[in-house]
Parts: sequence; structure tokens; C-alpha cells
Amino acid sequence: MKQSGVGLALIISVFIASVLQLVPVSGYLLVLKPNFLLLVVIGWIIFRPSQWGIGFAAFTGLLADLIFRAPIGMHVLLFSAVGAIPLYLSGWLVYFSLIHRCLFVFFLIILAEFIRNILLLMWEIPMDYSYILMTALASAAVWPAIDRLLIRVNRKR
Amino acid sequence: MAAHNYTNWFDPIENFFDNALLPAHWLATVPARFNAWGELILSDRSDLEVENTRLKQESLIHRGQIQRMADLAAENLRLRLLLNATELLMDSVLVTEVIGVSPSRNSHTLFIDRGTKDNVYVGQPILDAEGLMGQVIEVFDEHSVALLITDSTHAIPVQILRNGLRSIAEGTSDYDRLRLRFVSSTADIKEGDQLVSSGLGGRFPVGYPVGSVINIEHNSGASFVEVDITPAAKIDRSKHLLLVFTSEDGGEVGRSQ
Repeated sequence: MKQSGVGLALIISVFIASVLQLVPVSGYLLVLKPNFLLLVVIGWIIFRPSQWGIGFAAFTGLLADLIFRAPIGMHVLLFSAVGAIPLYLSGWLVYFSLIHRCLFVFFLIILAEFIRNILLLMWEIPMDYSYILMTALASAAVWPAIDRLLIRVNRKR
Repeated sequence: MAAHNYTNWFDPIENFFDNALLPAHWLATVPARFNAWGELILSDRSDLEVENTRLKQESLIHRGQIQRMADLAAENLRLRLLLNATELLMDSVLVTEVIGVSPSRNSHTLFIDRGTKDNVYVGQPILDAEGLMGQVIEVFDEHSVALLITDSTHAIPVQILRNGLRSIAEGTSDYDRLRLRFVSSTADIKEGDQLVSSGLGGRFPVGYPVGSVINIEHNSGASFVEVDITPAAKIDRSKHLLLVFTSEDGGEVGRSQ
């Protein structure tokens, strides 16, 4: 796929992730809602580490701040910190099997939620660890779809 | 983050983005609207007739109750006049629809389809059919943002219906739970007590249902008890809400659209 095509695919993926993030859910479904924006960031960093790195993670974090109506900078910090890990490991991650990448995403989301809760403590918003495991499981469950989609997009180069 | 917390430098960016995000909110609610449309199309005629009959009966009951309410309101007015009360409040309402919700678990906000064009103002109370939902915190031309009573940054003055005991109910970031602050361990409060807005602070009108007590935890040695409240309003389920306009001139009730 041409450079402009990849850029377009990235914009579309971020837009779809934003819309999915905004889909209203209630009750226990709220706990099961993955952080689609973070998953898309992780995906692009794994499969295009030379092009989309910490800067892209920080920009998407800014977008997440505005979507979540969170203090500006919170998700910038979170996405950058979490995005650095797949960036560092991207050389190996592309050779992992899908199952192993799912496991990697599972642990990464747990880490992300911990960091998010610690950041929220700065605003005295109560921490709630009970949902972290469910969110990580839900994120790992939707990861194969994102994984396959990004592999297909990047294979068309 | 500190700049965002202590200054309003980012307000123009956030306001611009709130407006820009409206189409995304619309897209995000397409599945829900499609589902509602599908239910309507697929529903059986007999089911609709049964529902129509039930709604007619409910309407009849409510009209009867309103007549009783009108009688009580008139009596209340006479008593207030006798007591030389200086302020007589009557509320009118405007129906609004939820067009988006905050995707964050920690920020309990709603987007509603009324804005400055409908005279919505910051601090305006919002209700659903069951009780108080929250208040408007930002107003735009065509829409507004409302903070729910369950948000951890929100607090509302309340009183117990049974005995008038005053307290403050604050959000816990949990859609099903509020917490009462500074309730003395000797206070007359028990599970099942109904709480209504006390009107103190002037933000929320008096007497709207807020919730009911579900749990009281006594910690030995502590001066205050921990009281958990379940909100009366269907915080994360209600789609149609009421914006309350409080007026001191006794405006007409039922400015509904």
C-alpha cells in the first residue's frame, strides 16, 4: 500500500476507534468495553514501528483526553508510556503468534489501567481495581480482529 | 495536566472539540437507534395494543394523582402565605434527549440535545422520570453537557424525607451508588430511608427524589457513619430527561415539548 494509503488507513482506524469508544453502554457492559483507541495505537506501533511511534501515541492520547473529557495530558502521558513498550519490543512482536500477542495486549492493558488509576488519584478520583481484569480480557478478546486487520493493511504495501 | 486543572486555557479547544465530536456521538448512537427502530418494526400489533392500554391506564392514574397534587399544592401555597414565606417556587420543565455519554468510567457526563437556543443555563437541574439525574455544566448552541450526581466530583445537599435530617450526597464514580458525608453515628437514619433534595445552596430545587439508603456502616471509634445510597434516577439507562426551569414568579408548570 502506498504511503498515502497507509495514512488514510490510520486515520480511518483512529476514527472508527473513536466512534466505538463513544458507543453508549450501561451497567456491566461498561466494564467490558475495551479502550479501542489504545488498542489501535498498540497495533500501529507493533506493525509500523518505524513510522508510528511515541509521537503518534501522544497525539492519539490527546484525542483520547478530549473524547474522555479527561485532564489534558493524562492520556498523552498514558499512551506514550504504554506505547513505548510495544515500540521497544516491536522487532520481536511481529514474529509472535496471535495468541502470544493477545497475551501481550492483556498484560499491557492491565498496566495501562493501573497507570490511569494512579493518574486519576491526582484528582482524588477513587481508584477501582475491580474492573481492570475484565477490561483487559475484553481488550484481548477484540485484539485478534484489530491484529488481522492491521496485518492485512500492512501486507498490501 | 496541572495547567488544565488550575487554569481555563484549554477551554476554547475543549469547546471546539465538543462541537466537532457531535457527528461522532451521532454515529455512536446509530446501533441503539437502529435497535429501537427494529423493535418497533418487529413488535406485534397485539403487543402494541396491550402497551397502549397499559399506558392509558397509567395516564389515568397519574392524572388522578396530579389532581390530588394540585389540591396539596394549593394548600401548601395557602400555608406558606400564612407563614409569610418570601419565596414561592414553581418549576417548569423541558423535555430533552440524551445524544451521547462520556466513554470514561470515571467521568459521568451526558450530552443532551438542548442548548442556549432553548435557554438552557449552567447549573440547571436535570431529572428523569424517577428522580434527580444531575446538572448542566456546559452549554453550547445546539447541545449541552450535564454532570451526573454519581460523578465523583459531584455533591448534592439532601434531606431524609422521614425526619428532615440534612446531609450531602456525593458521587462515587459508580452508577448505582452515592455516599452521604458527615452523618453522625448517632443520627436517626436507617436502611430504606428516602432522600430528597433539600434545596440548600440554591442549585437544586427542593423535594426531588435523590435516592434511598441501602447500607449503613458503623465503624467503631469513628465519629461518622458511612451511608450508601442507591440513586432514584436510572442514571445509566434513561434516554429522555427533563430540564427544570425554576422561577420565582410562579411560572406555568409543564412547559414540556
